[in-house]
Amino acid sequence: MFDPYNNAYIVVLRDEEHSDMLPIWVGKSEAGAISMAMENVTPPRPMTHDFMKSFLDAYNAKVISVVITDLSEHTYFAKIHLMYEDSEYTVDARPSDAIALALRCNAPVFANDTVITKQSSEELEQWLENLKPEDFGKLDS
Amino acid sequence: MSTVNPPKEQNLIEYRVDRILEEANTDTRIVVLARQDGTLDTFPIWVGAAEGNAIKLALDAMITPRPMSHDLVKSFAEHLNVTIQRVVIADVKSSTYYATVYVANKGVERTIDARPSDAISLALRAHCPIYITQDVLTRRSTTNLDAWLAKLESKNIGTPEVQET
Repeated sequence: MFDPYNNAYIVVLRDEEHSDMLPIWVGKSEAGAISMAMENVTPPRPMTHDFMKSFLDAYNAKVISVVITDLSEHTYFAKIHLMYEDSEYTVDARPSDAIALALRCNAPVFANDTVITKQSSEELEQWLENLKPEDFGKLDS
Repeated sequence: MSTVNPPKEQNLIEYRVDRILEEANTDTRIVVLARQDGTLDTFPIWVGAAEGNAIKLALDAMITPRPMSHDLVKSFAEHLNVTIQRVVIADVKSSTYYATVYVANKGVERTIDARPSDAISLALRAHCPIYITQDVLTRRSTTNLDAWLAKLESKNIGTPEVQET
């Protein structure tokens, strides 16, 4: 989803029961990396997150899961849980990288309870409410 | 990952990132590599805006509040105790350059296929050398000329930005 106010994209995560939504604001190229994986597009050359996966594959390191841990203003945190040689590693990442990688590795994406309660879908609803019909016109121009 | 054979060491010439140029009308960036030994020779590579920006951040040694994608790759390497040895621009096919990232752990070297932009972005962060094979250097001049001509032609014809879908 495109946000004309912030010139950014919104990745909308939904929980398994489709009841809760978690919007995450990301940049254009980050959104591209996520949507390519969602649509199963195979680019002619490996994109950054395909390269990232190749790197992990070369060492048989597996992405077990990714967890969105904090989405306060300006602090977007996620953790990537890796399994390598029978040990688990936790790597700090931006949610956009974590999600783009998880989709390529078929790993589950989790969000901390605190993130969901803090964020709920308030911001997204607010943003949707603020949309005016003209905004849609702006996108076409 | 890669089926590219490691090139012979003596055929590698070391380059460094000299500067990034902006090509405003196509929203692309030109990464200009220059020879590390000071010999006058530049090697331009066209990359996307996001890829160019990722290289620029590393070139300017900018510290971002959150790790960017290539910082994350570097972080994976550190966690797995993998050293990023060098990156090599090893091939060119129909105006597209192919790079190989050499990584090592416990004395075993592996290669990973990558786009030059990802390879360069990572090399600058991992402080490892960037090489171009002699083979690519000999074959590039015509390729670049073709790319330039194609660009010039498309501009002269006066049908910019129109893409058939």
